Amino acid sequence: MIPSISLHRQNKTKKISIPVLQLFLILLFSPKSLRASQELIPNPNPIVSPSPIPSGDMSNQKKRNFQIEAFKHRVVVDPKYADKTWQILERAIHQIYNQDASGLSFEELYRNAYNMVLHKFGEKLYTGFIATMTGHLKEKAKIIESAQGGAFLEELNKKWNEHNKALEMIRDILMYMDRTYIESTKKPHVHPMGLILWKDNVVHSPKIHKRLLNTLLDLVQKERVGEVIDRGLVRNVTKMFMDLGEGVYQEDFEKPFLEASSEFYKVESMEFIEACDCGDYLKKAEKRLTEEIDRVGHYLDGKSEDKITSVVEREMIANHMQRLVHMENSGLVNMLLNDKYEDLGRMYNLFRRVTNGLATVRDVMTSHLREMGKQLVTDPEKSKDPVEFVQRLLDERDKYDKIISTAFGNDKTFQNALNSSFEYFINLNTRSPEFISLFVDDKLRKGLKGIADVDVEVILDKVMMLFRYLQEKDVFEKYYKQHVAKRLLSGKTVSDDAERSLIVKLKTECGYQFTSKLEGMFTDMKTSEDTMRGFYSSHPELSEGPTLIVQVLTTGSWPTQPAVPCNLPAEVSVLCEKFRSYYLGTHTGRRLSWQTNMGTADIKAVFGKGQKHELNVSTFQMCVLMLFNNSDRLSYKEIEQATEIPAPELKRCLQSLACVKGKNVIKKEPMSKDIGEDDLFVVNDKFTSKFYKVKIGTVVAQKETEPEKQETRQRVEEDRKPQIEAAIVRIMKSRKILDHNNIIAEVTKQLQPRFLANPTEIKKRIESLIERDFLERDNTDRKLYRYLA
Amino acid sequence: MRRSAASKKKSDSITTSTTDLFRSASSKATTKEMDRIDHLFNQYANISSNLIDPEGIEELCSNLEVSHTDIRILMLAWKMKAEKQGYFTQEEWRRGLKALRADTINKLKKALPELEKEVRRQSNFADFYAYAFRYCLTEEKQKSIDIETICQLLDIVMGSTFRAQVDYFVEYLKIQNDYKVINMDQWMGFYRFCNEISFPEMTEYNPELAWPLVLDSFVEWISEKEA
Repeated sequence: MIPSISLHRQNKTKKISIPVLQLFLILLFSPKSLRASQELIPNPNPIVSPSPIPSGDMSNQKKRNFQIEAFKHRVVVDPKYADKTWQILERAIHQIYNQDASGLSFEELYRNAYNMVLHKFGEKLYTGFIATMTGHLKEKAKIIESAQGGAFLEELNKKWNEHNKALEMIRDILMYMDRTYIESTKKPHVHPMGLILWKDNVVHSPKIHKRLLNTLLDLVQKERVGEVIDRGLVRNVTKMFMDLGEGVYQEDFEKPFLEASSEFYKVESMEFIEACDCGDYLKKAEKRLTEEIDRVGHYLDGKSEDKITSVVEREMIANHMQRLVHMENSGLVNMLLNDKYEDLGRMYNLFRRVTNGLATVRDVMTSHLREMGKQLVTDPEKSKDPVEFVQRLLDERDKYDKIISTAFGNDKTFQNALNSSFEYFINLNTRSPEFISLFVDDKLRKGLKGIADVDVEVILDKVMMLFRYLQEKDVFEKYYKQHVAKRLLSGKTVSDDAERSLIVKLKTECGYQFTSKLEGMFTDMKTSEDTMRGFYSSHPELSEGPTLIVQVLTTGSWPTQPAVPCNLPAEVSVLCEKFRSYYLGTHTGRRLSWQTNMGTADIKAVFGKGQKHELNVSTFQMCVLMLFNNSDRLSYKEIEQATEIPAPELKRCLQSLACVKGKNVIKKEPMSKDIGEDDLFVVNDKFTSKFYKVKIGTVVAQKETEPEKQETRQRVEEDRKPQIEAAIVRIMKSRKILDHNNIIAEVTKQLQPRFLANPTEIKKRIESLIERDFLERDNTDRKLYRYLA
Repeated sequence: MRRSAASKKKSDSITTSTTDLFRSASSKATTKEMDRIDHLFNQYANISSNLIDPEGIEELCSNLEVSHTDIRILMLAWKMKAEKQGYFTQEEWRRGLKALRADTINKLKKALPELEKEVRRQSNFADFYAYAFRYCLTEEKQKSIDIETICQLLDIVMGSTFRAQVDYFVEYLKIQNDYKVINMDQWMGFYRFCNEISFPEMTEYNPELAWPLVLDSFVEWISEKEA
């Protein structure tokens, strides 16, 4: 603002004088502005200050026009200002890089940088910084390049550390620029820029780039073959890569590292697999895996762990899975057979890491089990002794159970594979149900003697496990009933509790109907005891004579046997009659029939030389022997007539009395093995035995003969027919209309707890039901059946 | 039943009762026809039972110049809806001949080819086939027919159209032991078999479907023979 001077207008002749006045005025003021620019007043805050007064006379101020002006940026005309400032900074950067920064004043440098940015020289500052740093880095790169051998990495590392320190300092100095100028231009900030510059000028310098990578890979390789390397150094370098950016780490190091590792393991795995057996190979693979994880922990970035482990898994395990598992003499099968828990556990843990690894192991195990099982059950030798047969099955199952729990971590899928394999081969032998029942029979007769309760439970539970695998549970039921009956009637069961316990287990497994008859048998035994007590208490006069023990069996519960005719000796029949009338007196409306083929007798015998023995014999045998009380010699025909026992049974009976060494209480003429119609029999007066009590002829449950087996099988088939029909009717009643395939499926499902229904048999039953007007075929769609109410 | 106006009953179907027939005296022609039909009936019927018995049928057959095992007699029986094998009642006779528009032996003879064509129509044959089976059930509550009769029946009914299938099936039935009789379900099954399954390839046959078991065994027997 120019102080205004009122110009007085004079007459026209005084024109010339005005310009001169003005000129004078202008000249008067310009020197003041020049002077002002020469002072560098670092004063960021605009202050209200009075304009500079030409003279120092303060008293004159009051008369002047005092105006307060806002502080304004001085227009800098001096171009050298920016250069000078920059030079200061550049020099500083040099010093910093030369490790000579101790003499610098942070405050001064900061101020300089700040001013540059303030005066709009941010760009110059920025580009200058980049240029300077680049220059330095190029030098450093040269130094690193020239390093020899091991010093290469060390030099790189050293220079990297120096650069980082320098960068930090420089960043601190240039912080204002960082926050303002760079912010607004969106260029990289100082620190990231510094890293980029390092990357571009050092790491990616043509002479360094490849050499760096190769040096690192070389070190890794050395370590892999057993040498010791400087892990810290490598760690620093990888950390440098990470600092430069994850992408840099992956591109410049990780990818090539993984490729090289893949190659390495490919080769190594081929070598190993030719030279080692399965167990050793797996050990080596495990070792390598652990090593790699260790390596990552020591000098690689954590994110590389998964990637390198999958390389090892792929090369060492996945690519050789089949060969390992099927290796002769050392593969999975061999391990299973020899219970090599450690090897198996290792295999499980390693294979678990690769896709389909466990599936492969499982499949091989399953097919081995099925093959082994099939051989076991179809081997005629092994089927000779049912108890042995079942014991073998139990042993095998125990073995594999242990393998799965010890080595396979109780993996459920393996458990399932085990179960399905057992189910498969147990049912290949149609006699399995019978054998299992015989096994139980053996245990309950003698096998469980002296075993603690809790162990008994264990054995029974194991048997139940095998039972569950059976498809023809109804066959088992049939045999089991027979065997239970024999056990109960001969009083040969070791433990009542064990019997009961097993029945409870069967009930839980198969339902009430399965066991209701069995329970009925036990109830009958109990009731019979009570009945006997009642009988004797009401007939005290009989306590002198022979003791009669009667078991009254309810027909429906016990396996049916045709009653065999037989003439009982007089003493016995009298007793029997008394019992009969006693019983019918208390239970009207019932019919009793003596089952002479199932009874036993204890008789006291005195032989020729006075030997006394107590003979335990069957009822038939008793009838025969008692005849000799009245005659010395008897012919076959006479015996037959007197006892009225049918021929086949009689012959068997006589054979057991006369032809068995050590038990021949009667002599036969002629001495042949077979009983002929013309044979003669006498008491064997020379009979001897070590024991006082001699057992002749037991009613032991045995493996059935062929014809017996056929008969049982036929009865089972017959029993199945009404069950199938009942299932069909049940299903059709609720569904009303159903197509053929669905009926078959539903019926099979319903009957599955008892037996595996044959679709052909089901079809037969359906046709039978159609004939009897329970069902009809639909007129239009021949696949459908309709329920006829 | 009270007599209603004759005109109402003009268009009765074949299944009207005797009394209705009697009452449809509107058309003289119809009455005349019926008289002739009855007259024809009396020629073959047994006087005492008022039925055409097997003897009468044999005579009828010879007059018609067909064998009494010819399928056409069976077709005639079907047309009549005859219930008892070997016998025709007057009602049945009337029914059949009226439908055939035959009141003399000659007309009847001439009507037979037409009848055959009619029966062999797809829509009728299944019914005829089932009828043939029922016709052979002689006892009350009888549900199945013995193998020998079945074989003969198959030959008569299906022999001309499905020669191969009938021959094979008959051979099988004679050889096998599982079945002594065939029931209606199995009988109809065979008809479906002939119509739906190509022979002798039998590629479409699936034993897991709802075919009667006897056919499953039959097909199996054939495949074993071929092997």
